[in-house]
Amino acid sequence: MDVIFVLLPLALIIAAIAVGFFIWAARTGQFDDLDTPAVRILFDDEEPRPAAAPDTPSRRVPR
Amino acid sequence: MTRSLAAHRPGAAASCAHCGLAVPGGLVRAGDADQFCCNGCRQVHTLIGEWGFDQYYRLVGQQRGQIEPARVSGRSFEDFDDEREQAEATETRGPDRRCTRLYLEGVHCAACVWLVEKLPAVLAGVDEVRLNYGSAVAEITWRPAHTRLSTIGRALDRLGYTPHIHRASRVQEARRVEDRAALARLGVAVACGMNLMFLQGAIYAGEYSGMASPYYAFFRWFSLIVSLPVMLFSAKPFFRTAMAGLRARVVHIDLPVAAGLAVAFAASVWNTVRGSGPLWFDSVAMLTAALLGARQVQRSAQRAALERADSLRGAAFLEFARRLDGAGPDAPVVEVPVAALAPGDRVEIRSGELVPVDGVVLSGRSSLDNAVLTGEAAAQAVGEGDIVNAGATNLGARIVVRVDAAGERTRVGALLAIVQDALARKPHLIQQTDRLARRFVQALLVLAAVTGLAWLSHGPGVAMERVVALLVVACPCALGLSVPLAVSVALLRAARAGVFVKNPDALERLREVDTVLLDKTGTLTQGRPTVARWHGDDVVLQMARALEAESSHAVARAFQASYGRAFTVVRNVDDVAEAAGQGIAGRIDGHAVRVGTRAHVGAGGASVPAELADVAVAMVADGFSPVFVAVDGRVAGVAGIGDALRRDAAATIDALRARGLHVRILSGDHPSVVARVGAELGLPAADVQGGLTPEAKRDIVAGLVGQPGRAGAIVMVGDGVNDAAALALADVGVAVHGGTGATIAAADVVLTREGVAPLADILDGARRLRGVVRRNLAFSLLYNAVAAALAMTGFIGPLGAAIMMPASSLTVILSSAFTRTFARPGASLKPVGVPGRA
Repeated sequence: MDVIFVLLPLALIIAAIAVGFFIWAARTGQFDDLDTPAVRILFDDEEPRPAAAPDTPSRRVPR
Repeated sequence: MTRSLAAHRPGAAASCAHCGLAVPGGLVRAGDADQFCCNGCRQVHTLIGEWGFDQYYRLVGQQRGQIEPARVSGRSFEDFDDEREQAEATETRGPDRRCTRLYLEGVHCAACVWLVEKLPAVLAGVDEVRLNYGSAVAEITWRPAHTRLSTIGRALDRLGYTPHIHRASRVQEARRVEDRAALARLGVAVACGMNLMFLQGAIYAGEYSGMASPYYAFFRWFSLIVSLPVMLFSAKPFFRTAMAGLRARVVHIDLPVAAGLAVAFAASVWNTVRGSGPLWFDSVAMLTAALLGARQVQRSAQRAALERADSLRGAAFLEFARRLDGAGPDAPVVEVPVAALAPGDRVEIRSGELVPVDGVVLSGRSSLDNAVLTGEAAAQAVGEGDIVNAGATNLGARIVVRVDAAGERTRVGALLAIVQDALARKPHLIQQTDRLARRFVQALLVLAAVTGLAWLSHGPGVAMERVVALLVVACPCALGLSVPLAVSVALLRAARAGVFVKNPDALERLREVDTVLLDKTGTLTQGRPTVARWHGDDVVLQMARALEAESSHAVARAFQASYGRAFTVVRNVDDVAEAAGQGIAGRIDGHAVRVGTRAHVGAGGASVPAELADVAVAMVADGFSPVFVAVDGRVAGVAGIGDALRRDAAATIDALRARGLHVRILSGDHPSVVARVGAELGLPAADVQGGLTPEAKRDIVAGLVGQPGRAGAIVMVGDGVNDAAALALADVGVAVHGGTGATIAAADVVLTREGVAPLADILDGARRLRGVVRRNLAFSLLYNAVAAALAMTGFIGPLGAAIMMPASSLTVILSSAFTRTFARPGASLKPVGVPGRA
């Protein structure tokens, strides 16, 4: 069971890193606007519409 | 037969390609695939198509958004290029980039986010746009070397979003930094608290089933380390305010929290060091997390209301003027910020714009709407040499004005200074719960001392345990939690019901109301002349509207506004001739149409039938100006032009009086007009006052507020600059929807729904909130009394106390969250067309 003396501090360090990231995210304003990102992600960009194909002679099937 | 115009809306044969509203019959262009309800929609739709953003309409459908008819101001936004103006909302990002915040009018649904953020694709020099959908503030990153802010402003304007430099930027940034720090504190407290509960669980399990001593000591020391960030970082605000309170010799509500935390932590540390006795590290952390969480909820509820009010105030009033650069009436015009004007400059005021300065008309004839300044509903005719005041709206043609005073030196600037003064003098209310909490805290500290002394004979360890148990169990957590929670839930509900409560104190003051004072113009009435009555055939009215669309006269605006917005005519109109002070004549699709005074339509060879003449006399008696319409030499209809009462005005006043409130009207308009409106609403003549200056209104309100022995709060409701000082001084100031920036700044409550009906909702909501607060307080006091008695007598130890405390908090949280304070409005009260009064 002595492994607990290593594992617990290790878990604490990992938790501290996570909390550190949270503080960083809060400080850089990533939680300022909680509404817009939720809708922004819904917008797929449509494929650009293919420009009207010019009616070139090469498209005519040669007989 | 006199009927309401609302029934006369043309059939929904065609709907607008942009906003989807029905296109008025006269505007349908035969043969066009896309039809538009107004010119703004046409412009915006065309531009969206040109830029290839058609997907926008699909997104609006997906988001179930409702587009409003677009408004394109057509401004040049040159004033945005002024460095001083920009500086208020701009940060420099690197050597060649700037980030500017603009507040956008007209953001209505999530699809707007998509459209606005597409701007970099079509504008060179714009790197990124981020739109905050909630606050309608866009953050634009742009390169001054490649584009100008005015170019960006024009592009946004042409998409239907009128931009304003976001003046509240600095204030909001400071508030945001605070919010971020608070969030970080809460996160740390929750993370540590959760981990501490696991550790504590292990310790309890160890105590129950036995645990080898090195592990036992390790877990206890480990708990101490994990709780350090909570005490040193998260709980800091409690200690700071408690200390500040002590220094000022005030018992702050945070004091017992701070004392409880400090004692529990110190005792736990002592027990850790000596290696025996209970630990309360997890209680300390979870208590901190719960209190910070409650404050965070309240903060975010309040912030939404505050930010909106800030943005509106920034967007306010009189931001720019069109200055004539050079001599002559047709010199080139440059848009400049109002601050850049000097006396002697000449400015142009176009039809529909606000007069930005105090000055004298140099050229042009027009009529001005002074309603926001004086409360007068009737337009004032101005010509060369007449004095004009900043804040008036130009209803007629373009005029050129010589600047005498701009900015703070104008009459409106002086009024705003009165408002600032009144706001500064408004006493801050000590809330009932704060007073209660203070007494509670004092009693608690005395009890703790008594308990400690009483148990001292059993040894300091036992005495300490009893005191800690008492402080933890009686910690006014429920007290501190219940009121903020109930208030913030009420604020959120109110916001959804169309009532923005800027100042939560207002809810407390609204518990008992004595008198409600109402402004007339723009509050009880629409605030602008419309076709309030119509007698005649629909087709005739359509023709009159089509003809009046060619004019910018005040009467013409009334016709145009009778469907809620201006529009450009597409029907075939020729030979339009306006006779000053008389009316207008022209040919519509081959019919000769004349609109105007009796003499004007009579000049076309028509005589007014007796029936119409009687209707016109009745209209005059009711305070409306009759305007006759003749088609092909026959007088076929008469319109009553005037400032009509809002549809919900009479019902709301009846509802308020039914509650036993004293309802009074304070207006700046002509006493006879005000008396007529008062009579129509069934108010006694003594309670209806007209002809009041802004200062007189303020003094009446100040007199009522200062009256000794009054039964309840004085509520003032208004919309104009002339009401602002009175709003600021009243116990509760309410700004109605569409009020000016100054009123929004001065008011405690801002209505975001049209009409005055929300007034009754606010009163009911405040009453229900009071019920919730009382219930919560009664419960937590009872609970605390019982728990304190148990703790003092030693029936429960600190551990039992730590378990009992969250149970009481949970009860008040549930009680706050599930009580309906503000109901959602059943149906939107937005007026459609012209409210009929007949």
